[in-house]
Amino acid sequence: MKLCVTSTGNNLDAKVDFHFGRAPYFLIVNTDTMAFDVVKNTAQVTGMGAGVSAAQMILDKSAAAVLTGVIGPHAFHALKVAYVDIYEGLSGSDTVREAVERFKKGEYHEVTEPAGGPGRGRGSRGGW
Amino acid sequence: MVREKSLDAEVHKIINQRPIKTPVISITGGKGGVGKSTIAVNIAEALVQSGYRVALVDADVDGPDDHILLNIPLTDPLDVMISLPLIDDQKCTRCRQCVDTCRRHALFQPRDSSPILIGECNGCEACILVCPSDAIERGERTVGKTYKSEMENLMLFTGELIPGVEESSFVVNALKERVFNEAKDSDIIIIDTSPGAHCNVINALKGSNEAFAVTEPTPLGVHDLNLILKLLQILHIKATIILNRSDLPGVSGQIESVSKTYDANISVEIPMDDLLIKSYVEGVPVVRMYPEAESSKRISRLSKEIAAKYIK
Repeated sequence: MKLCVTSTGNNLDAKVDFHFGRAPYFLIVNTDTMAFDVVKNTAQVTGMGAGVSAAQMILDKSAAAVLTGVIGPHAFHALKVAYVDIYEGLSGSDTVREAVERFKKGEYHEVTEPAGGPGRGRGSRGGW
Repeated sequence: MVREKSLDAEVHKIINQRPIKTPVISITGGKGGVGKSTIAVNIAEALVQSGYRVALVDADVDGPDDHILLNIPLTDPLDVMISLPLIDDQKCTRCRQCVDTCRRHALFQPRDSSPILIGECNGCEACILVCPSDAIERGERTVGKTYKSEMENLMLFTGELIPGVEESSFVVNALKERVFNEAKDSDIIIIDTSPGAHCNVINALKGSNEAFAVTEPTPLGVHDLNLILKLLQILHIKATIILNRSDLPGVSGQIESVSKTYDANISVEIPMDDLLIKSYVEGVPVVRMYPEAESSKRISRLSKEIAAKYIK
């Protein structure tokens, strides 16, 4: 399956990133072959709605599931609507390769409820 | 290092234009709790006592309370609405221009349907503008209310934001539009702003002939006075200081130094006054309840100066 892992770098040996919308990179990893696509997160630098924007990028790359640290409610909603499965709970010390191995062993559980309130990202809520 | 901010002449022109000829003054001040509303209400009342028709505008939309200080009910409500995109799934061609245009990233394109609204829309309508197939209709969302209450020669306009909603500036703008439409015959418009120096304060201040920054001689007062005077300087709005609780054993020297830095005169010093507190508790402006009070005399004198300067 195509699994999207939030990453601090552009290769499998980079450390994972705990954030979803603000992660610098998404690695779309084929869990069978470990082949991967790199998606640079252009939403990372924008103000509001980074999570929804990131969800759009991942959907466009046809990822079937997302593995990240924690995901905000808007992005959660977007991914659910798009039938992308969501796995939370990445450990910050793992590399992407290690995280995918853990995923394959079934160490992460799918989440069905958004974890917390809005404004997890760094986007300004005010300003208008 | 403070980054100096300056605006284009064109922007200043827009900021400082008024759709009507009625003079507009603002009562502001960076800090909360310094007496902005109390002073605004009393200036308005003093001008009414002098025979003028006054429109008082409570633009502190997060917590409007001028009506409480004046003890008059909020009447004549109007909803403040902002746009919301309604996407017609039949007409939508999935071109995604709306999704890519939305600066809030509030629209999301699922696999098999037209885009849906997921994030926080601020009603900018850019999606409607870019849609090539006319598939987006203008829905509406209520963000607040405006009110008009009348008491003899005083018209009180109040803006009220729905709690938890972030579009305070929309409510301020709708409030001012209503004032400019319905208070044309007033002799003067007095705008009581929120504390702070952010968007809704800027929108409240726009178009003012003069802004009075209320402060007090405390370290917080000095700090926040600096902020609001800086903002007024950026906006090119004439700034004047009202020093409330002037006899607090505080830091008057620092207030004077800020006054010099920004070339903003201290127009009046209002001492602490038990009668003002009593009137505040009763919900009656001090200039009406205790005209003999020192605070009343000083506010009335300032009001006369304002009238002489702005009302023909």
